[in-house]
Amino acid sequence: MRIQVSRELLDRQLVDVDGRLVGKVDDVEFALDAHGVPYLRTLLTGPGALGLRVGGRIGRMLVLTAERFVTDRPMVPLRIPYRLVARVDSAVWLRVRAEDLPTSPAEAWLRRNLIGRIPGAGRAGG
Amino acid sequence: MKKLLAASLGILSAVGGFVDIGDLVAAGQAGARFGMAHSWVLLLGVIAICAYAEMAGRIAAVTGRAVFDLIRERLGARMALVNLVASYLVTVITLAAELGGVALALQLASGVPYLLWVPVAGVAVWLVLWRIRFPVMERVFGLAGLALVVFAVALFWLPTDWAALGRSAVTIDDAGQGWGAYWFVAVALFASTVSPYEVFFFSSGGVEERWSAADLADARFSVLVGFPIGGFLALSLIATATVVLKPAGVTVSNLDQVAHPVVLAFGGVGLAIAALAFFAVTFGAALETGLSAAYAAAQYFGWQWGKRVSPREAARFHTVLLVSVLLGVLLLLTTIDPVTLTEYMLIISAVALPLTYLPILVVANDRTYLGDRVNGRWLNVLGAVLLLIIVAAAIAAIPVAIGTRMGQ
Repeated sequence: MRIQVSRELLDRQLVDVDGRLVGKVDDVEFALDAHGVPYLRTLLTGPGALGLRVGGRIGRMLVLTAERFVTDRPMVPLRIPYRLVARVDSAVWLRVRAEDLPTSPAEAWLRRNLIGRIPGAGRAGG
Repeated sequence: MKKLLAASLGILSAVGGFVDIGDLVAAGQAGARFGMAHSWVLLLGVIAICAYAEMAGRIAAVTGRAVFDLIRERLGARMALVNLVASYLVTVITLAAELGGVALALQLASGVPYLLWVPVAGVAVWLVLWRIRFPVMERVFGLAGLALVVFAVALFWLPTDWAALGRSAVTIDDAGQGWGAYWFVAVALFASTVSPYEVFFFSSGGVEERWSAADLADARFSVLVGFPIGGFLALSLIATATVVLKPAGVTVSNLDQVAHPVVLAFGGVGLAIAALAFFAVTFGAALETGLSAAYAAAQYFGWQWGKRVSPREAARFHTVLLVSVLLGVLLLLTTIDPVTLTEYMLIISAVALPLTYLPILVVANDRTYLGDRVNGRWLNVLGAVLLLIIVAAAIAAIPVAIGTRMGQ
């Protein structure tokens, strides 16, 4: 599969096998194989990776905001091995279910402490 | 029959998405001060929103991606974040103005001061967003919003001089109010017809309802019929203000004055219908702006969003929704006058317009997304001309607002 990373991969939506939205491709990581040829190893998603790529004061503010939701700092982005990618079109489709990936700390915190406590939170609006 | 029903429901959504507090205020002020001399602005606005909503709808149907997804992909993480912050602020201020409109409509109907209605409106909007199914809510408010047609009916009831009305619609005249004020109102009216939240909402709704290329014709049909109907309703607001308010020298500083022509024609019944219509369009728009603010954030960061999943599964999206409504309520509770807030909202929306519309035009021409469903040549010419006008409005907005001290 031949892909232009900056044009067709970065900033695309990550979608799991069931169509759940997992995050954006906030950054990517390359590695060298046995012959010294670089290959795309990991997709990174999460405010930590995004903040670094955005850079500057605005990027730092982003990371600081997100870090309020985690206990272990600095916060690590969610790493998705590239072999879990099924196909790339207007989104990046993964072979796995969102439940099998770690949940974003901010999502988990807000679910537990705010949204999940409001009556009717478990019901889809349709 | 079923197809007809589906089509009319789509049209209702489009009508509901078009008219809002911005149109009520800008159309009322345009008519009361300048007569029909801004009709061309409204026409231009309707053409622009039709063209760009069609593009956004086509992109949503073909790629399954909504507008803010594309903004991030095309502008990159950093520029898109700046865009997000600006768009979010504009949308939340719009939400506040719509909530103010709901409160003013309730004051009009009940006589109870609007500030008391503000928290009620906020809670009601949030409850509907939390509880009610998506298609139901937009259709109910779209249908109730059609009650605005009472303004068109009132024109026939009142002793309208149709020839004079028609003449003033085709002559551009500053009516002795000064050209600065004329262009101020023109920018505000244009911004009210092409509010960015309309395309955020429209394209996200398309993704949410899982449009495919097969639904494209229906989506296009609802846009091309629904938005012009909305434009017609706004035009009838200008016309009634021209016929009743302008000769009396009344300026519009509240929704009472906007409703006045209908009250003059139909008395208490007219007032009730106008209040209902104002309530429906502002409440519907409050729902749409609230959702749009949350859509923009969720689509930038890639969060799960939408009303198909339970709020638990989209906790960040629902948090932004909740916070946005809260911010809107708090902004109003500073006792800022909702009509003044609407005027400021329209000017800053005008400034922010290119942030939304440029990326749409770029992506609508991108074959890697759309294949052979990219814009045709004529739509591109139209889109480019409209974009120039949008940019001109954005550049002119602040100087005109300062130069005329908000249109005085």
